[in-house]
Amino acid sequence: MAVADFLITLVTFIAIYSLFGIGLNLKFGFTGLIDFGHVAYFMVGAYVTVVLTLPADAPTYGGIGGFDLPGLFAALGPLGSLFGWVLGVLGGMIAAALVSLAVGVPTLRLREDYLAITALGIATILNTVVKDEDWLFNGPYGISGVHKPLVDVFPISLGSFTVNMAVFGLLSVAIFGYVAYWLVNRFRDAGRTGRILMVASVGLVSVWYFVMPVVDGGGTVELTKNVLWLFDPTAGPNGGLDYDRFVLLLSLGFLAGGYHWVERTINSPYGRVLRAIREDEDVPQALGKETFQYKMQALMFGSALAGAAGALWAVNIGFVSPDQFASTITFFAFTAVIIGGTANNKGVILGTAVFWAIRNGTRFIDVPSQYSIQLAAARLILIGVILMVILYYRPEGLLGEQDYDIDLPTSLRGGSDDV
Amino acid sequence: MVDAGLLDATVQGLITGSIIAGGALGLSLIYNIAEVPNFAHGDMITIGAYLALVFNNPGEIPFLPAFGSAPLVAAAVVGVVLAGVLGATYELTIFRKFRKRDADIITMVIVSLGLALVLRNVVLFLVGSKNIRYQSASVSNTNFDFLVTGGGMTVTTTQRQAGEVVTTGQWGYPWWLLVGGLLVAAAVGYGVYRAYRREEGFDTVYLVPPKILGFTVAAATVIGLGAFVQLAPQGTDPIVATRIGLSIKHLTIIGVVLAAMFVLNVALKTTKLGRAMRATADNMDLAEVRGVDADRVQLLVWVIASMLAALAGVLTGWFATNLTPNMGFTLLLPIFAAVILGGISSPYGAVAGAMIIGVSMDVSVYLLPSHFATYRVAVAFLILIAVLMVKPEGLWGDV
Amino acid sequence: MSEDSLVPSPEETILEVDGVEKHFGGITALDGVNLSVGPGITGLIGPNGAGKTTFFNCLTGFYTPEVGSIRFEGTDITGARPPAVAQQGMVRTFQIPRELSEMTVLENLLLAPPDQTGERLSGAWVRGDQFVEDELDVRERALEMADFFELDHLLDEPAGNLSGGQRKLLELARALLTDPEMVLLDEPLAGVNPTLEEKILERIHELEEQGYTFLFVEHDIDVIMEHCERVVVLHRGEVLTSGTPEEVQSDERVIEAYLGEVDV
Repeated sequence: MAVADFLITLVTFIAIYSLFGIGLNLKFGFTGLIDFGHVAYFMVGAYVTVVLTLPADAPTYGGIGGFDLPGLFAALGPLGSLFGWVLGVLGGMIAAALVSLAVGVPTLRLREDYLAITALGIATILNTVVKDEDWLFNGPYGISGVHKPLVDVFPISLGSFTVNMAVFGLLSVAIFGYVAYWLVNRFRDAGRTGRILMVASVGLVSVWYFVMPVVDGGGTVELTKNVLWLFDPTAGPNGGLDYDRFVLLLSLGFLAGGYHWVERTINSPYGRVLRAIREDEDVPQALGKETFQYKMQALMFGSALAGAAGALWAVNIGFVSPDQFASTITFFAFTAVIIGGTANNKGVILGTAVFWAIRNGTRFIDVPSQYSIQLAAARLILIGVILMVILYYRPEGLLGEQDYDIDLPTSLRGGSDDV
Repeated sequence: MVDAGLLDATVQGLITGSIIAGGALGLSLIYNIAEVPNFAHGDMITIGAYLALVFNNPGEIPFLPAFGSAPLVAAAVVGVVLAGVLGATYELTIFRKFRKRDADIITMVIVSLGLALVLRNVVLFLVGSKNIRYQSASVSNTNFDFLVTGGGMTVTTTQRQAGEVVTTGQWGYPWWLLVGGLLVAAAVGYGVYRAYRREEGFDTVYLVPPKILGFTVAAATVIGLGAFVQLAPQGTDPIVATRIGLSIKHLTIIGVVLAAMFVLNVALKTTKLGRAMRATADNMDLAEVRGVDADRVQLLVWVIASMLAALAGVLTGWFATNLTPNMGFTLLLPIFAAVILGGISSPYGAVAGAMIIGVSMDVSVYLLPSHFATYRVAVAFLILIAVLMVKPEGLWGDV
Repeated sequence: MSEDSLVPSPEETILEVDGVEKHFGGITALDGVNLSVGPGITGLIGPNGAGKTTFFNCLTGFYTPEVGSIRFEGTDITGARPPAVAQQGMVRTFQIPRELSEMTVLENLLLAPPDQTGERLSGAWVRGDQFVEDELDVRERALEMADFFELDHLLDEPAGNLSGGQRKLLELARALLTDPEMVLLDEPLAGVNPTLEEKILERIHELEEQGYTFLFVEHDIDVIMEHCERVVVLHRGEVLTSGTPEEVQSDERVIEAYLGEVDV
């Protein structure tokens, strides 16, 4: 497998978990709700989307549905089935929001530590229900044959090697160029430690990505694959943009959408109330704000984003089962949010990237297979230690809390820029 | 053949409750005095169980030579002591530092989560994920069949010995003795309660609250009478019959946990450090002003709580007959439920909460169709949520 | 309390408290408080533990009284949740200032005004003209208020960096931005230096002239006597007496309550 393929898998993971983390950040970072049951909404979103888009007569499936929305809308035209899938995702998000509404009614009035514990308990119970009730979503056997939107269209080839090269090849290089440009800009803004960290990590990744393939004997073929990562230049005229790359772009698209949506929500008077609740709920209450409603909305919104992440997760893996949604996923997301910077959406993405790079990147360390458990455990020990060290030495995370700015006609506004 | 019934489910529930209580005692200390909702407590239980394993069955641990096996009791004692040392380490290297920074409760929750992740994976790293047993003598169940007949009650005990069911005893109580015995027990219990109760005042601190003492004495009287006054069987034609399965193991677990509760309670109420701990729980700053050495108190809290967690771990491993790296974490939710339900402020509350959780778990499994057996923990939680909806501060409040 | 010549007439009564009781476990914090408050500045005094802060918490919905009723401008607000009370027009300050320390002074102020379009999820997402208009309006009012309380040079400062006195001012400014009819002040002068104290009192009098009603808890009896038209004395969870500062000051029971010599 080319390094490019590994990187595409990794970045897809990071995009999906970042969306999940941004949902958590809305609850935890901006509103102060410790939802230890966040993974439940990931699960609900994944399952509901899968069932809404599953064909009615899916083999080896004995749960409710499938409702085959893509099939239903396929008649509308070429993009009909995609529309059906999008409706399925919306359904998953709404279902996640509704489940969190049901959870929130009894738990949001509790002390913050009791909220954390009851949320964890309810998520565990929901997972048990999905696992044990075969009639619901097929129980422990999970659901295979998940609908993958537009899967038949891929790989997309533009007709000939030359055109592919011209379009996808140029795009690949252009994206590298943009990343380099972005990194240089960040480098200028960064402090001393930041610069050292950046040089070290970018250097390592570049060597690993561009130099190692050549040294390893892959020669120029591997290097070409890595540079022109958007398509497969070695497959001649058929080597177009494949489905994995499409899922990556789809996930990045969802992440961008979720990011901007949350940013819009936070940089507003609404976001001001959320942050006031996080700091001291009595204050907005005394000022006449119905804080319970705000907390409920933040919980539902964050859960809907987790639901969307779940839908993408199902497409990416192609199979869902209850074991994929253990509470550890929630704890990983908390770790990622805290590493990157609580109440900072860019920090969530950075933290998620760091977390999954540690979690999955270490698979390149060669250990005999009988020590695979030890390796997995060592990774998690490292993550636990990083979590505690960050909390102690840099509780605001790598990036710290973000700045807030409400977009107003500039000529009219008074006061400060970062409100 | 007599079937196990509600009574048996209740007794099993008390045993489950004792296991939970073992964890709840330590967690309530940390929660109440150190003010850490300790999500690592489940994994501290696991660590305790494996520490005892090191001495009891080292052959099962990959990197250790099989240097022989200490009896479980000795291994448990060493394990519990070592766990205390680890507890001191958690406090000194982690929680003290965060306390000095005035970390809020959310931070403490997440720090404990990080510790939980580390502990669980240290076990995985060192021992792997396979199921391991303690080396201990196998204990066989004794079934007590209670037959209520026209003449009173007949008790038959049976045991499975070498694959055969053997009747090991049969005796009975006539009606007059049953009724009389219950009356005597009630009278003794009430008498103790009246004699022990004092005028209520602000400085009244009972070593054992009179209600609990009265109830305990009454229960002890019933059991004592039942054990020593065994008359002739009262027939074997039952109106109602039920079976309870018990073993020495079960009784030991209940006994050890109740003893731990009692010792902890006495220590908290009579020793100087215990009183300092209680003062710290009420108000840490005020206690410090009054000359309580808060650091020393917190250190002690973590040591004692870790030792209690280790004790719970050994009992759990012994009871469940095998150890897994997840054993403590799966107990965490019922333990939290017990602690919150019981109010986080007293050993009695923690144990009472644990018993309520344990009994409701096992009784609901008995009452519900067998399909619902996997929802044992869910039941515990539904009870907790229901209670919190009515009383957000827990059953006995955060007094 | 027949001697209290200042009991407001029914038409003038803004806040009417009738037999309010509040217990904590076995301890009685409020034991049947009866009180009518009319326009102007009413002082509420009482020895430590008399139940002043508990009383404020009951009035503003942070506690629910077990017995009794509270009417504000004719509406029964007994047991209403804090936001509902504030929306009715009765707003409080906290004894220990509760500034939102990680938010800037300006953000603390911007939080307060009611009915902002952008405060609703739909408003924040859609961002129509009303959103911009409201936000600009809110900013203008916040800046005026900051000016009035001389916080204008601190707008971008995190509220956690303010001095104790500045926090008190911020707390008061924030409360006033909610468009209240009546403001409950819980020791607004505690820990404030004399210069700032004068300033705060001056502000309160200016606001009184603009038509605000104040219920004013204060430890410093001299301040109460000098600045309140009417004084109510709370003792052991009950209203001991009320009247003009002179009447109250000459009441022996008040003196005894403060000296703690009498077991009533």
